[in-house]
Amino acid sequence: MNNTPKTIRDYLDQLRAALAGADPALVQDALYDAEDHLRSEMAENPGKSEAEVLAKIANSYGAPGEVAAIYVEQERVVEQALRPPPSPARRSLWGRFFGVAADPRAYASLFYMLLSLATGIFYFTWVVTGLSLSIGLSILIIGVVVPIVFFGSVRVLALVEGRIVEVMLGERMPRRPVYADRERPLLERIGAMFTDPRTWSTLLYMLLMLPLGIAYFTIAVTGIATSLALVFAPVAELLAHFGAFDGNVGIVVDGNTIVPPLVAAPIAFIVGVIGLFAMLHLARGVGRLQGALAKHLLVPSSR
Amino acid sequence: MQRSAAVTEAETEAQLWKFHKELSAGIVSLVLLGVLANAKKPMYGYQIARQLDETGEGVLSGKQSALYPVLRNLDAAGLLASEVEPSVAGPPRRYYRITPLGRRVLGDWTYAWTTTRDFVDAVLEEP
Repeated sequence: MNNTPKTIRDYLDQLRAALAGADPALVQDALYDAEDHLRSEMAENPGKSEAEVLAKIANSYGAPGEVAAIYVEQERVVEQALRPPPSPARRSLWGRFFGVAADPRAYASLFYMLLSLATGIFYFTWVVTGLSLSIGLSILIIGVVVPIVFFGSVRVLALVEGRIVEVMLGERMPRRPVYADRERPLLERIGAMFTDPRTWSTLLYMLLMLPLGIAYFTIAVTGIATSLALVFAPVAELLAHFGAFDGNVGIVVDGNTIVPPLVAAPIAFIVGVIGLFAMLHLARGVGRLQGALAKHLLVPSSR
Repeated sequence: MQRSAAVTEAETEAQLWKFHKELSAGIVSLVLLGVLANAKKPMYGYQIARQLDETGEGVLSGKQSALYPVLRNLDAAGLLASEVEPSVAGPPRRYYRITPLGRRVLGDWTYAWTTTRDFVDAVLEEP
């Protein structure tokens, strides 16, 4: 730990080691900032060797251990400042069940479930089109460029999806892209893009988002519609009873209307209200799962 | 005897380090807003770090890594605005400039800072 790093790669490895156990998204951000600073310093001092520049860095930017400590501390402070105040812990079973209505995260997750159909279709189409174009055009000269542009665009999309997930689901995701090292030869950088397991896991995530998005959207819409229908059925039934409009209120199955007895109305109302709250619980659970999935597939593991 | 002196020195150093850490938390934001309020052009992270390095010693020296996350936070809070521009030397750079809200906040913070500084000075100078 105490040996001074001689190369930028050494420095970054030491920083990664010092950040072991921290959130992978935080590690990616810290590594990006450090590499950005180090490479700028190198570019400013063209005559000096890497070791000389790094010796100076330890006194200006900080040694890897110090930098890691600063980032972890900063993260803790920001977390506290930004996180919505925790909803009061409710003891009773009832309180825990209905308390979900006061949790903003549940509504945001519900909205994410609705949105994921659109994003899912887009990601899926992008990946399928990009992959087939890359493979199909690979026999032509232009086929060299297409996959590079496509894989680059996938990285950008991964960052964008990360931002959506962090804002809506509350999972900490990277705020910086993966650092593109301009010093290395172009071919090596392109090669690294293809051998990076994260590139492939991102593609997998985007393909998965179509079925997941369809499922989330369907569950959310069906759940909300059914619950609301049950809540308002008694009202409609009453209105129909007093002749506010013609026709029967009931459940239409294959053109036949089944009219439940009037006693069923309060039960329908209660079931509907419980259904709405259950939806919020479900949305929150889905949000957590989706956040974990995104973290797993879109963020490089910090090893 | 010598050993205890070494122990004390390590201890004061640890205390100083802890004090620096606690002190720098709010000051970094103030300093960054100040630098960007005086800047004629938008600046990127490394540029700001170097300018501070030239300005002198203080709680921030040796801890420039603390600047970057704070820049992002000020940006997210709307006190700074930023745009990304491609650069020749490396990856695209994010240039920061202060927003009107940032200037107003800086005014308030500067007032809070000067009164706090005077207060602390007065306390320390008391015989």
